[in-house]
Amino acid sequence: MNPLELTLGIMTAVGGFVDISELVFAAKAGSAFGYALIWVFAFSTIGIIVFSEMSGRVAAVAKQPVFNLMRHRLGLKLGLVTLAASIISNLITCAAEIGGVALVLNYLTGWPYLLMAVAMTALLIASIWVLPFKWIERAYGLLGLFMITFAVALVAIHPPWGQLAGGFIPQIPHGLSTKELLTFGYFMVAIVSAVMFPYEVYFYSSGGIEEEWGPKDIMTNRMTAILGMGLGSLLAIAILSNSAQLFSGINVDPEIPGSAALEAAIPFGKWGLVLALLGMFFAIAGAAVETCMANAYSIAQFFGWMWGRHKKPWEAPRFTMTWIVLFLAALGIVLTGVDVMMLVEFAVLFSILVLPLTYLPLLLLSGDKDYMREYVNGPVAKGLGWLYFAIITAAALAALPLFFLTSGGNG
Amino acid sequence: MKPDGKLKLVSELLDLPLLDSEGKYCGIVDDVELVGGAGKDLELKALLVGPGAYAGRLPRWAMWVVEKVAGKRITRVPIDRIRSISGSVQLDRPGDELGLHRSEKAAGKWIPRRGAL
Repeated sequence: MNPLELTLGIMTAVGGFVDISELVFAAKAGSAFGYALIWVFAFSTIGIIVFSEMSGRVAAVAKQPVFNLMRHRLGLKLGLVTLAASIISNLITCAAEIGGVALVLNYLTGWPYLLMAVAMTALLIASIWVLPFKWIERAYGLLGLFMITFAVALVAIHPPWGQLAGGFIPQIPHGLSTKELLTFGYFMVAIVSAVMFPYEVYFYSSGGIEEEWGPKDIMTNRMTAILGMGLGSLLAIAILSNSAQLFSGINVDPEIPGSAALEAAIPFGKWGLVLALLGMFFAIAGAAVETCMANAYSIAQFFGWMWGRHKKPWEAPRFTMTWIVLFLAALGIVLTGVDVMMLVEFAVLFSILVLPLTYLPLLLLSGDKDYMREYVNGPVAKGLGWLYFAIITAAALAALPLFFLTSGGNG
Repeated sequence: MKPDGKLKLVSELLDLPLLDSEGKYCGIVDDVELVGGAGKDLELKALLVGPGAYAGRLPRWAMWVVEKVAGKRITRVPIDRIRSISGSVQLDRPGDELGLHRSEKAAGKWIPRRGAL
């Protein structure tokens, strides 16, 4: 297997795991609760691996991306509701990513934030226009690997490895007040949502079709899902652990992405900061591409248009118009001056509401022997799939009350 | 054929993507046209494609929104143009011949044909 074949998984995971929302939630989780939320990341990672593998397998065998299935399985009415909710969720997320990458550019250059947002949107549009899909995933996936700086920084600060490893055991810290317990609950739900963002599955399954996967690529799909998502999870856990070690004891609340970059500056000085900011720049830019493309894929697949960036932009004109308009709409949201962190909160909240509707049709189709033949879900995929579906449904039901009770995790 | 055979076919056809003979996506089966009457067999005559075909499937207010956003165009694809049905409906002609690529072509006029690798 060519290692470059893993770049779809790496881009999906880096864009999904260490995007603007994960940077903020992981750093805040570590600062507020030490290592106690690591297990939620690890647990959710298994969930996103299960569903990504399923969506890639369906793409390879049934040649169907997620949104085609969604409409066929849920019907037009419920399908339209899901489409509308996911468009809103992905658009808000894309706006948050554009705002996030503009903030990083602002940190790096000192130039005005809104100007950076406009310039970055133009650059992202140009990159998708010029590059075919394979190069989009390779460029953003490989450059996003600068984020490994955070894992190296974790080793350099010598964390208490025993305590860190203890964070992988499911737990709720003792001695929390009711208010703190609710905040812990909100973080659990937000992390599940941020790790299992629906756009990751839309992008991954569409990417499998862009790459013309067939049944021979089942193993590539499995490895890509496990290694890509595993790497993304490792980076998010590194950010959380750095934050637990560096910020927890001194009551620093890393509210903005710049605080996360300090995690590399403390052990490595200026160059650590620059590498961390470059990693954040490419990871968040990749996430902006991923969310916008996922949105355009969803719309085109729902209405049966020609789609894909393995074609030239003029060979799939409605798809091309859609992703350009979506980028401009996301930029429009940023230009209103809305706080990026507020966008992040809303993106996470909206996503968890869409999760059950995204994963149910996928579970049904990947378990359908008529479509999937010998590649139908085995007992492990079926058991884990339904377990995680029950968990995300419970999380979706708890999300809104917890959001309001904790003022979005701010206590 | 079993008494439920045709209805099952209809429910399995609805909302499947259409692929023409060149492998291009050209819409979704938005509705179907049936003919028949009391005491007669119900027969599938055509697939209906386009936002206008949502009319029987959405509440009136939602249809009003769809018409404002996407219009009410319907393209009729005769049933004998279907080559096979699986995860998608494969047609035996290019979409152009069946009038299925009109919106795509209209959008294509706005997209410059240069600069992409």
